[in-house]
Amino acid sequence: MKEREGAVFPKSAQPLKTLTAVMAVMCFLAVLAVGALIMINRAVDQWSRGLASEVTVQVKLASGRDADADVAAALALLGVTPGVVSAEAMSRAEAEKLLEPWLGSNGLDKLPVPALIRVTVSQEAPPDFEALSVALKQKVPVAQLDTHRRWEAELRRMAGTLSRLSALVLTMVAGSAALIVASASRAVLASQSSIVEALIMAGAEDRFIADAVGRRFIWAGLGAGVLGLVAGLAVFALLGFFSSGNDGVAQAARGLFHVPKGDARLALISFAAIPVAATVIALLASRLALGRLLRGLS
Amino acid sequence: MLNVKHLGLNYGSGPDILKDVNLSLQPGEMCFLAGPSGSGKSSLLRILLMAQKPTRGSVSLFGRDVTAIAHTEKPLLRRKLGVVFQDFRLIEHLSVFDNVALPLRVKGLKRRDYLGDVKDLLDWVGLGERMDALPETLSGGEKQRAAIARAVISKPDLVLADEPTGNVDSVMAKRLLHLFMELNRGGTTLLIASHDEELMRQSKKRVLRLGDGLVRAA
Repeated sequence: MKEREGAVFPKSAQPLKTLTAVMAVMCFLAVLAVGALIMINRAVDQWSRGLASEVTVQVKLASGRDADADVAAALALLGVTPGVVSAEAMSRAEAEKLLEPWLGSNGLDKLPVPALIRVTVSQEAPPDFEALSVALKQKVPVAQLDTHRRWEAELRRMAGTLSRLSALVLTMVAGSAALIVASASRAVLASQSSIVEALIMAGAEDRFIADAVGRRFIWAGLGAGVLGLVAGLAVFALLGFFSSGNDGVAQAARGLFHVPKGDARLALISFAAIPVAATVIALLASRLALGRLLRGLS
Repeated sequence: MLNVKHLGLNYGSGPDILKDVNLSLQPGEMCFLAGPSGSGKSSLLRILLMAQKPTRGSVSLFGRDVTAIAHTEKPLLRRKLGVVFQDFRLIEHLSVFDNVALPLRVKGLKRRDYLGDVKDLLDWVGLGERMDALPETLSGGEKQRAAIARAVISKPDLVLADEPTGNVDSVMAKRLLHLFMELNRGGTTLLIASHDEELMRQSKKRVLRLGDGLVRAA
């Protein structure tokens, strides 16, 4: 005789197979959304760090003023400002290269290009930019400090918007998954009506039937979550390790697979949470739906 | 044990399936419910099983009016009943053993607690050698014996059987009748819906006849 009692509901009920397939696609989309979100936030962090560690002083050309003396005065002030790590005047060729994307290369040498000073600042103890700006204006009226804060704020705003959009996508995926599970619960009860009736006639309480069916949904949710996760990670692996280019997207995709350290661990937790969430959604949504459906049966 | 008064059933504005059914069953009694196909025997049994609400009248089972019972109370009352259907209604992917053990599982009993009882009962109904078999491999008579074993495994106070010999040959029908009579001798109360006149005659038990929506003693 068999050692263990058989499961009351068969594992291979058709609605459960369909549910697993649909939920796997949803988990795949969720993995893509989470991965893209992590990549965007990391890129923004990286860019922000670059922007925050470097500021620019622009010394405009003005008639009656000695540009070289203005640059030297600005460099002198920067040299004694706490928080400034280094200050270096850019050559005209470097400055022209920066303007090329906007103005083109033709005739750029005839334009009055301002002198630029590249300033590296300490990220741990940055200078008081307000005070530095005022001091520069006093000493060199044609000098202007550009801290890139506006760009950084724009980047942060964009990252925030994308994060909220991703959260919305994930919420919609979770909500849709819950509705599909509820619909599958009805389908399972309908397709296994003879078993449900046998259980009811044997004196089974709703909880017993919901437990027996719910167990199948737990496995369906977990299986779908793992399938979706593997498929999603495979897409990022293809992007990171097998795409022909070595651009920022490929680098960011590779970054998703780095050994856990700091926020990288958070990324792994976020991915691991997807099969867990799929399982929990399958369990809770099926329980709620089954409870309601079974109350409607005699 | 069972008391049915002025029971009526119809669907929507359709004709009465049951008009004014009155019957009662005493503890330890074995009784047949006879009537032609379509006379309402199955509908009456469905009402007794709380699977169907009557249009009017009352059904008292073990002192409880089952027409007004709460959904959550039905399972506990059903555990006092054993049910046998004409089409067996065994769960196809479960072994004979697991099918018979089902009423004990739903009560929350562990396998080790009911292992011996189920084996003994399967031996008693002649299925001791087939306990690992799936229902699809059983003959009609074996299926019905498994269904009867499932109905009585939890020692119910009342067994309701709906055409239990309808899908077996006359030899097996006689064997099943003896099985029911043995159960009855053991103290089980039985109400058996049937249209097998020969079987009812052989049993020499009380027969209630259902016709035109009414029950009459034979």
